[in-house]
Amino acid sequence: MSVHIIGAARTPFGRTELSGREHGVRAARAALVDAGIPWSRVGAAFGGSDAAGNADTLVADLGLTGVPFVNVRNGCATGGSALISAVNAIRGGMADVVLAVGFDKHPRGAFDPRPEEWGLDEAYGREGLMVTTQFFGMKIQRYAHNHGITPRTLALVAEKAYRNGSRTPEAWRRKEITADEILESGMVNDPLTRFMFCSPGEGAAALVLCSESVAQGRDTVELRSAVVRTRPPGSFEVFSPRLEAGTPTSVSTVAAAAAFEAAGIGPEDVEVCQLQDTESGAEVMHLAECGFCEHGEQEKLIPFGATEIGGMLPVNTDGGCIANGEPIGASGLRQVYEVVTQLRGRAGERQVPGAPTVGFTHVYGAPGVSACTVLTS
Amino acid sequence: MADGTLWTWTVQRFAPKSPPYVSPPNGFTPFAVGYVELADGSRVEAVLDVEDPYIGMPLRLSQEAGQVPHAREVE
Repeated sequence: MSVHIIGAARTPFGRTELSGREHGVRAARAALVDAGIPWSRVGAAFGGSDAAGNADTLVADLGLTGVPFVNVRNGCATGGSALISAVNAIRGGMADVVLAVGFDKHPRGAFDPRPEEWGLDEAYGREGLMVTTQFFGMKIQRYAHNHGITPRTLALVAEKAYRNGSRTPEAWRRKEITADEILESGMVNDPLTRFMFCSPGEGAAALVLCSESVAQGRDTVELRSAVVRTRPPGSFEVFSPRLEAGTPTSVSTVAAAAAFEAAGIGPEDVEVCQLQDTESGAEVMHLAECGFCEHGEQEKLIPFGATEIGGMLPVNTDGGCIANGEPIGASGLRQVYEVVTQLRGRAGERQVPGAPTVGFTHVYGAPGVSACTVLTS
Repeated sequence: MADGTLWTWTVQRFAPKSPPYVSPPNGFTPFAVGYVELADGSRVEAVLDVEDPYIGMPLRLSQEAGQVPHAREVE
């Protein structure tokens, strides 16, 4: 049974006086308006945040219809997990119209997890190793060594993010920044500089999904597959005291392959995609991990504009996490919102030319989780 | 104690949030961290007590009670 997206919305990301929950209410209302569906018609809802409370409290604002509303808290895969639940609710006959919503709001600065929550000795915290950005630096450092990725290419990824962000009304970082400025913005964790990183922020995104019969006659995008996977043996993850021998595996590779298989569509068919870009290196590596190119081939693609909006494979057309910031619970659905907007041909200044019909989204996060979707118009 | 080579590294250029980080008595200074590859191919995360780390650098791992592993350059 096919599942369709008939409403999609997001709030402006960044830093405001709004609570994360208020972002969630706004995104949910806007998605319902976009769908032309009243809240009372929604038969089930799934959603959550990582750090801004429970999604089921939204009923106080949306209406006390008695709808079953399941809270999802699954780190970077919160949006993806809400989507899978929505798909299953529709396929299982629980409801024919379902809301999925993700929102968040984080304090300024890097995330600061505690070692005991990760099963690590407190020495890892005391000596300064509980820093996520270190891991990102170390992963791309090794990858760049193996596959010849240059600092210039890392800067070009961020330059594109800010350029696409400047064309996205709801993005946080809307000022273009040149590759030279990015390279000179100060080293944070070698080889990554300040402007190559996203920042924790706030925002929300929501989708209204429905069954094939409800979708009839509407402007829909089909959700061909939604997949979440946890890490396979041998992957290199944040906060790992050890890494086993051999070439590291990737949960993103596992999740992307499963999403493509379930959709019956391959990476070569994708015309617009959103890849987790916690920092520039992540986008470079995820291009290959998700099957869009060979390892090292990025150096033949990125400097030549292949991942730009007018390129062969437009990546992170809304500026991704680098330009939108990272509200953990919202990012996954923000990506789906962006692809839906592109496939509907409503992306304005940042519209991918040639009326794209196939899209892909990918998130990756700690402790080794990835969520992917394949969408078609 | 075990010998190996540097598999990857970065430099922590900003002071991590406290807690949990405990700044040294003279204040934060950037430090290197990385993974040391051992003879069996496995890699151990360690603070690198070295200048100018590079991939392939020969290192010696050690660990004192209550600390994370540290690595020093093999002369």
